[in-house]
Amino acid sequence: MLLQLRNIFKWVNSGGQRLFLLKDINLNVEEGEFISVMGPSGSGKSTLLNVIGMLDNFDEGEYEFLHEPVHTLKEKHRANLYKEYIGFVFQSYHLLDELTVKENLEMPLLYKKFKGTERRAMVADMLDRFNIVGKKDLFPTQLSGGQQQLVGVARALIANPKLILADEPTGNLNSAQSEEIMGLFKQLNSEGVTIIQVTHSEKNAAYGSRVINLLDGRMIK
Amino acid sequence: MLKNYLTIGWRNLMKDKTFTFLNVLGLSVAFGVAILLSMAAFFDLSYDKFHANVDNIYRIHTLEQTAKGQGASVSHPAPFAEALKAKVPGVDRISRHVQDDALTIYGDKELNLDAVWVDEDFFAMFSFPALKGNMDNPLENQSSIVITESTADKLFGEAEAIGQTVNILISGEEQPFIVSSVVADNPPQSTLEFEVAIRFEKHYEYSGNRESWDNRYHDIYVQLQNGVSPEQFEKSSRPLIALRYQEQIENAKRDGARANADGLYWQIGLLSMTDVHFASFPNGFLKVSRTGPYLILGIAFLILFIACVNFINMSIAKSAQRLREIGMRKTLGAQKAQLFFQFCSESFFVFMASAGIGIVLSILLLNDFKTIFRTDVSLDMVASPWAISGFLGVVLLITLIVGGYPALLMSKLGTIQSLKGKLDASGKNKVRDILMVVQFSIAILLISGTLILWGQLDFMRNKNLGYTKEQVISFPLDGKKNSYEAVQLLRDELRGNPDVLNVTAADNNLGYGLDGSSSKSLYGYEYKGRMVRTNFLTVDYDYVETLGLEMVAGRNFQRGFANDSLSVVINETMARELGEDDPLTAYVMMNDSIQYPVIGVVKDYNFERLDKAIEPMTMFINNNWDLYYAYVKVAPGQMVKTMDAVQEAWARIEPNAEFLGSFLDENVDRTFRREKVMATLIASGSVIAIVLSCIGLFAISLLVVNQRTKEIGIRKVIGASISSITFMLTKDFLKLVVIAFLIASPIAWWSMNEWLKGYAFRIELNVWVFISAGMLAMVIAFLTVGTRTVKAARQNPVKSLRTE
Ligand SMILES: Nc1ncnc2c1ncn2[C@@H]1O[C@H](COP(=O)(O)OP(=O)(O)O)[C@@H](O)[C@H]1O
Ligand SMILES: [Mg+2]
Repeated sequence: MLLQLRNIFKWVNSGGQRLFLLKDINLNVEEGEFISVMGPSGSGKSTLLNVIGMLDNFDEGEYEFLHEPVHTLKEKHRANLYKEYIGFVFQSYHLLDELTVKENLEMPLLYKKFKGTERRAMVADMLDRFNIVGKKDLFPTQLSGGQQQLVGVARALIANPKLILADEPTGNLNSAQSEEIMGLFKQLNSEGVTIIQVTHSEKNAAYGSRVINLLDGRMIK
Repeated sequence: MLKNYLTIGWRNLMKDKTFTFLNVLGLSVAFGVAILLSMAAFFDLSYDKFHANVDNIYRIHTLEQTAKGQGASVSHPAPFAEALKAKVPGVDRISRHVQDDALTIYGDKELNLDAVWVDEDFFAMFSFPALKGNMDNPLENQSSIVITESTADKLFGEAEAIGQTVNILISGEEQPFIVSSVVADNPPQSTLEFEVAIRFEKHYEYSGNRESWDNRYHDIYVQLQNGVSPEQFEKSSRPLIALRYQEQIENAKRDGARANADGLYWQIGLLSMTDVHFASFPNGFLKVSRTGPYLILGIAFLILFIACVNFINMSIAKSAQRLREIGMRKTLGAQKAQLFFQFCSESFFVFMASAGIGIVLSILLLNDFKTIFRTDVSLDMVASPWAISGFLGVVLLITLIVGGYPALLMSKLGTIQSLKGKLDASGKNKVRDILMVVQFSIAILLISGTLILWGQLDFMRNKNLGYTKEQVISFPLDGKKNSYEAVQLLRDELRGNPDVLNVTAADNNLGYGLDGSSSKSLYGYEYKGRMVRTNFLTVDYDYVETLGLEMVAGRNFQRGFANDSLSVVINETMARELGEDDPLTAYVMMNDSIQYPVIGVVKDYNFERLDKAIEPMTMFINNNWDLYYAYVKVAPGQMVKTMDAVQEAWARIEPNAEFLGSFLDENVDRTFRREKVMATLIASGSVIAIVLSCIGLFAISLLVVNQRTKEIGIRKVIGASISSITFMLTKDFLKLVVIAFLIASPIAWWSMNEWLKGYAFRIELNVWVFISAGMLAMVIAFLTVGTRTVKAARQNPVKSLRTE
């Protein structure tokens, strides 16, 4: 078992009322799964992903990640946990515009205190694997959307995470580019990486092994 | 990791060159200015600290109670120092001190040297290190003198100075002296200044006054034994004072003086040598004020503060554009401390660069700065390890605070919040607004200070002083000839010149001449059972006519009246002081027996600086008392040519003396030197303050406009006019200036009022001064912000909408 959410609630207070963003979420994720989260806009998909990624807090319920009770951990400990095991991919890539492709890839390794030689090897490996060696010295703005997302995925993968969280990774891409990214996910999943993605497209969802549907912050079957 | 920070820091700086440029520019200028100003201030604060014994050295003054309140004086009678040494325990060393000119003759060279007449102990007390000759006690013999290195050069050139004999003119006679020691030139931070030091006993006043307790004409410096406090010493001196000044004390009691807090009528005070440079005696009370250097430091601080505020505001505003980066770094595992360190190191870049440029700027501007602000600071002073480490410490501290605050804000942002690129707007803007209000308050404060200083300066320059200052030349009579003879020769020489209207002389100058000296003689006597004090001026014939003074009663001294040398002319204030219905019936008493009747009253004129009220003045005409300054009234029109004629005439009379003539209006101008320097300083400070504030304002407006591009576009599509959008964007900033004005004006009013109180003749504070300062700040702010906002408002809305 990779992670387990039990009776998770998240709300915001608005005008004296609780506005629920997540309601009673129960979810078990095994290692090696490929899950797609679907639902209309505003249904809480991103919120759920952020909670799983520990970027956001929740108000009630229990969350265990690799048997660590996340809800009781201190922020710093939590940060160490996601830093080590989770990689993020965003719809709008979120690459750092001031850094080149190579430097963007290197950044997570810096925060994880890898040595210089190790970092160079891992970056070279990743550039190779994603076929972007020729682009390594370009800045994000000099790349197409698909290429940027490729770098985004590479960056998420570089420190060998167990789990990849992808929030509409193909939302800004055309269908050919989407297929490339999805193919990549499929391949990674077959290599043992657990993937949770948010998507609007049935076609993309079909790459996964399981679909979760959200409506107004609640999971529906 | 550091490399990564530095790369991203550097690229961030380069990405927005305008911003980086404005930041570095503002900080560099501020650093440069702050360095120069603090150098000047610390230079001033370090006055006299170079003396090794400075902690034990004091200057002695007396505090005397009179019927009109307390009087203070640093002048003492000749036997006093010896009496202190003999009768009061605690004296280690003591020296009397008179500063005077000494006409020094060596071969065919005649130099008017700046001389101090001191006792043997002088060179043991004060640290003027000997370079050559007798090091231990150079003034042991009364015929010895000590000269400075550059004086030795002037007198002897390459030749050996030690053992040379020079003649010095004392009471009209040349006396031989032997150079026993050459000391280094006086350090610039020295209150005691001399080119030659001569034994006190050789001063021309000494022989007639060696036993006299009535004539007070010199300073006393005392070095107390270790462990003796000045308070202790003062207490021990009381029996001596009571004995020696018995008569004065009794007179004071009789006239109705009241004892001071210690129950005394006559008391000495000891002023630490470190305070001497900063001391004055307004209204008879000792005041040690370091306001000048602290004001300068304050301005340096304010300017740095303004630049730092710019930096903080720009960093925070910029951080809005870097939210994604912050969020991204957090999801990749950056911790708060790491982010904090990253942003701090970026600031460090900017600060180091600015401090470096600031240092270069200050070095480049040093010479101009020295001339404009009349300070003797040098780079040597700054090159001391102390100063350098202090400077680095200050820069680091500023970097930490100024770079740290925005870094802290940024590192604290929530991950999701920053990823969404939203800044929690309300709180941050409050800090920004407060900082900008403070900035503009400072600017408005300095602008109103400048306007008022200028006003007062202008007032003093143009005020009718009661005498003709534009048409009268004065110069020191410092030749070998007797002064009366010299003036008579001058009259004869100039008689044929139609442009010379009058020639006279007196024993004092008006304003500061080119010789830079000023003096004041006071005389007190008993008039009908009361002590009366008056300024004492020895004049030659035609003094009143030459200076265009006005007689209000009686007549001026005239040739042919044999008794005039036993009569006086007084001013109106003196007449009031004497209190007679007809002042011409009053008299001045000399030597306790001879009555000098008043033969004329002259209308009050400002013979002293305008910060002083006009005091009683009595003029004497008496050939036995030397004259020191000649006055020549010239016809308007050919004044420069006439000045040359006077100079030539003087050169024929005293071929070896230097001619230091200048018009009285120039002399008067020189007495405002302090005010002028201060006005220039505050004016430059306010210009820099306003420029820096505007740089900040400009940068912020740039950002705000950028952030609101989309909003501006939408508003225009809906139909807002250019002017309404400009107004909308500008009014927020102008509001801050208005608040700043409301805060700064009362502070400016209060402080300028305090400052003006120091002037007996002064301008009235006017509300309009403050309003114009505020308006000026407002207009400048409007122009700064307006350029950006108008441009933004005029932009094609389609274009601005597309940028999102
Ligand atoms: N901090 C917040 N405060 C208030 N409402 C929020 C907040 N974050 C998200 N929401 C709301 O919660 C709902 C779910 O948002 P989200 O998870 O982003 O939906 P989506 O399924 O489109 O990704 C939306 O209606 C959104 O407006
Ligand atoms: Mg979403």
